[in-house]
Amino acid sequence: MDPALELRGINKQFGKVRALDDLHLVVPRGATYGLIGPSGAGKTTAIRIVMSILFADSGAVGVLGKPSALEAKDRIGYLPEERGVYRKMRVGAFLSYMGRLKGGSQAEVQTRAGRLLGRLGLADTVNKKCEELSKGMLQRVQFVAAIVNQPDLLILDEPFSGLDPLSVRLLKELVVEERARGATIIFSTHVMAHAEELCEQIVMIHKGCKVLDEPIAGLRRQYDSRTILLEPLDPKADLMALRSLPGVERVRLTDDGCEIGLAAGTEPGGAIRSVASLVAPARIELARIRLEDVFVRLVSGSAGSEESREALRTHLQGLSGEGAAA
Amino acid sequence: MIRRILMVASREFTTTVVRKGFIVGVLLGPVFILVLVNMIPRILNSKSPQVVGDVAVYDPSGTVIPGLQTALDPAAIAAARKARAQTPPAVSPGPGGGPALPPIPRLTVLSRDADVKAGKAWLLQDEHHLALVMLRPDAVVRPEGASDFGTYDLYVSPRLDEGTEATINEGVRQALVATRLKSSGLDQTLVEAAMRVARPNSVIVAAAGERSAQRGIARTLPFISGILLFIGVMVGGQTLLTSTVEEKSSRVVEVLLAAVSPVELMWGKLIGQLGVGLIMMAAYLALGVSALAQFALSGLLDPMLIVYLVVFYFIAYLVYGALMLAVGAAVNQMADAQSLMGPIMMLLVAPYVLTGVIGQAPNSAFSVALSFIPPVNSFAMLARLATSTPPPTWQVLATIAVGLLSAAGTVWFAAKIFKIGLLMQGKPPSFATLVRWARMA
Repeated sequence: MDPALELRGINKQFGKVRALDDLHLVVPRGATYGLIGPSGAGKTTAIRIVMSILFADSGAVGVLGKPSALEAKDRIGYLPEERGVYRKMRVGAFLSYMGRLKGGSQAEVQTRAGRLLGRLGLADTVNKKCEELSKGMLQRVQFVAAIVNQPDLLILDEPFSGLDPLSVRLLKELVVEERARGATIIFSTHVMAHAEELCEQIVMIHKGCKVLDEPIAGLRRQYDSRTILLEPLDPKADLMALRSLPGVERVRLTDDGCEIGLAAGTEPGGAIRSVASLVAPARIELARIRLEDVFVRLVSGSAGSEESREALRTHLQGLSGEGAAA
Repeated sequence: MIRRILMVASREFTTTVVRKGFIVGVLLGPVFILVLVNMIPRILNSKSPQVVGDVAVYDPSGTVIPGLQTALDPAAIAAARKARAQTPPAVSPGPGGGPALPPIPRLTVLSRDADVKAGKAWLLQDEHHLALVMLRPDAVVRPEGASDFGTYDLYVSPRLDEGTEATINEGVRQALVATRLKSSGLDQTLVEAAMRVARPNSVIVAAAGERSAQRGIARTLPFISGILLFIGVMVGGQTLLTSTVEEKSSRVVEVLLAAVSPVELMWGKLIGQLGVGLIMMAAYLALGVSALAQFALSGLLDPMLIVYLVVFYFIAYLVYGALMLAVGAAVNQMADAQSLMGPIMMLLVAPYVLTGVIGQAPNSAFSVALSFIPPVNSFAMLARLATSTPPPTWQVLATIAVGLLSAAGTVWFAAKIFKIGLLMQGKPPSFATLVRWARMA
């Protein structure tokens, strides 16, 4: 069977900025792919090219067995990052219009839209004008518009940005349901925690180049954690003294203790024992690998200084924090 | 593709025509004027109270008053009005129209002395004292060596309406002329007959047959057709501009582009607003036809002119509508659109203004040349068609062909800007940037 999405050697340049550089990507049908990278990495450009909203300077696109999304738009659900509604239109009419534009029948679309709005706690908004809804409510309506036609391919560009935690949870449930229904999902985000939670395969883009395309399980095996999390029994313990231990590369203080970075090749079990012998722990554990750590390692490479890696890590955490807080 | 275009068109059309602003501003406007046009003659023709009162005259010769009494007799006034109505004017008013005249007044002519002050006091004494006519001594007999006769002074009550005042003046004129002719030994009937030359309606003799040349209102038809075209294009184009800017600024455009291609979106919007423009023009046409019917001038309007109006509206709308769509897609808010709209508005206003000139010289080299130069050609040819000396058929067909080609070219160019502009944010582009976008697309 054809993959749901195939990009072959996509290049795109805006003026002097190279937005995408020889991007190759194959997404099998039914898979959930996370497209991650910091803002400005090229994720949205890649998605717009997939949707035939923008066109590549060179390279080929295949979407649901067609050479262009223009021939398969009715089977694609798309929640763009820059999303809006017709403010004067009623919610029900807006969803009906979007659904019918994609080939759905009026009755089908209305039934599904009503059910989905109910799931998201918006059942009473059908006859309200869009301008009467809050920003969070509108985002949920837009999410419904993306899935109301039960698409074969669902592309979500930063779907949770600006949403409260409850709305995020509700939308995540719907994403999981769409996956269970058999839809292929491409999920673009700079909040890597969301990608870790929902995706089975991670594609990282940095400065227009693909730097990673791996199953998340493989990533965890491949990129072993080299960080120990320590919460000392004595809050006044001298944690910086841990830097003197063999194999410890860095110590970063946190609110409840510190993160201890290990040098390459250091055996984690021995390191934990050494740390515990120097500072009595209330809690000590090997940190689970985080995507942002993988990303930092990939883009910094072995040549990158520890300071530059730390700066990038802080940047990514800042982005994640924004997304989580929003 | 067609299904999506029609759905976009349908939404564009319905959201525009149900808007309060459209209903009030565009549809109720013509309806309101239509009601007025139908009402005004009825209001004017409705019976107002008959004026009854006295006209005092100082007649130093004593020869004018009898003639004035005759001239202001109700039967004489009625006869004079009838005679004027039967004189062929430039345009004959129909039975329901024409300048409305007040009811025939019942005026009594009294003689007064030369005391102007006392005469003015007399005017204020009673509400039936309507006017004081002070004939000058040389009003009847021309002084030796003078080239003209003397005249008279008229003092009127504030209650005297303009129509009755005109009737009194006409009566005095008739009485004076009759007295002067009589005192000169001339036969008044002969002089009046000699002065009268009935003006005929000119008849245009063409290969297709003869027809009456209705000058006058007919002269305004080219200008009126220009106005209709202008209004149709402006309403449709302006709405295209604002709706595109709204879609872009509210960020709904990318959601739409997930369902339709930019070209489908553009055509849908163009077709939707074409329908809006047609409805609006139909409203104004109904107004025009009704107004012509009111004045029994329906014959002035050749049905083919309406067909040509629709054809040239279609062409002009596509040209200007596509340009406005491109501007709407290129900017992020209405304020940014102003600088780009300036040249387009000039291109729209200039041909509209020229329709008046073209109507007066429809077959001059200038008018013929403008008929083939887009985007003026639609306006120019429609104005020429609206005159009583329309252009040859080959020129009409050539103008339509040039118009369709220019419309296709403009839509093609605008589509390129539309595709790129829709997703562009940031500062509004210059014309050079728009051209660069068109090359990129």
